[in-house]
Amino acid sequence: MLDMLSLMLMSVPVGFIGSLTGLGGASILIPLLVFFDIPVKEAIASGMVTIIATSSGSASSFVRERMANVKIAMYLEMFTITGAILGATVTTIIAPTYLYFFFAAFLLSSFVKLRGSTKNDPVPCNNQDRISGWLELRGSYFDEVKKEIIEYRVCNALLGGIGMFVAGVAAGMLGIGAGAFKVTVQESVLKMPSKVSTATSNFIIGMTALAGTSVYLLSGFLNVTLMAPMAVGTTIGAIVGGRVLNKLGDTSLRILFFIVVIFLIAQMLYKGVMSL
Amino acid sequence: MSSVDLGGGESRLETAISYLLVIGVVTSLLLEAIGMVLFYHSYGQFYLSEDKAMFLHGRNFFNFLHVLLCGGFPDKSPILFMTLGIIILMLTPYVRVIVSVLYFAWKRNIKYVLITVFVFAVLTISLGLH
Repeated sequence: MLDMLSLMLMSVPVGFIGSLTGLGGASILIPLLVFFDIPVKEAIASGMVTIIATSSGSASSFVRERMANVKIAMYLEMFTITGAILGATVTTIIAPTYLYFFFAAFLLSSFVKLRGSTKNDPVPCNNQDRISGWLELRGSYFDEVKKEIIEYRVCNALLGGIGMFVAGVAAGMLGIGAGAFKVTVQESVLKMPSKVSTATSNFIIGMTALAGTSVYLLSGFLNVTLMAPMAVGTTIGAIVGGRVLNKLGDTSLRILFFIVVIFLIAQMLYKGVMSL
Repeated sequence: MSSVDLGGGESRLETAISYLLVIGVVTSLLLEAIGMVLFYHSYGQFYLSEDKAMFLHGRNFFNFLHVLLCGGFPDKSPILFMTLGIIILMLTPYVRVIVSVLYFAWKRNIKYVLITVFVFAVLTISLGLH
């Protein structure tokens, strides 16, 4: 039987795997909690709070190293938080059955990131549109591998904003960070370099999660005995995961990612079908 | 690299935000951990309780915070610690927005004052409504 101690111990490897695969801890923990017969809405509400901890913890170093672009993040947060509040509100009122299927469908979208990760950096934005230019969406970072300062500009600010709104809805609705989706929008639409995109996405996720949590906090779904061990365990796991990330080969990461996502999708579909 | 502004960056804001995030998360997780230890001390086990007292209730976030600070919270210290952990966790990104608004106001960057005020307003309304 699951208790606080076993949940905390389970959350450490989950945070570790979540950090290595880029899925984030909550995407893995929520289906696992459902597996242990925790009500799906309670699992989602606790997942949302947990994300504030894991995201803020990892974002702090990205911000300090100037990898996360604060201005781009602030602009995109306008869209993600509005989406998250809408998504979380929907979750509090709809039947849980839908959530299993939405969750499984959204996990499928993380395969897009897997395919995307085989490519190099996205095509840089050379001709910045007027709105993106006006919003000062540009920056530079020091690339440790190339040992040089890379300057970049962001394109398609409006379209990217809409994409981030959708990411926010999914995040708020499912209690997850939706990091893979956010990174895909940032790289494909906004043309942000991969490293900046990952770092900025991490930074934005914390704020999006706060918006979702604002809806869940007093909704009657937030169980403190569930949330506390999840937050402590996943954050510890994510910190360790972040440190070994660069030491692992791409192939082993992809195999791990594939196995984890397939298992999670199967688990949510099974619960969804059983609840019909 | 950490002390160099590479252009397009807002180094003072970034440093402030970085410290804020670390302090917020560490404090919050410590409170959660203390709460769990006290829970074990009070109940003799670590069980996941479905008791109504374990679920947070209130009119809205600010009212909840007010009740908490005025000592109106039920005298169950493990739950109190875990709840405080959640509150500090939530206040971390919230304070981050306030710091950003003040920073951009100080830099007289009207565009980003408006953007950050929008984020702050939406969060405040949502926290006030739920």
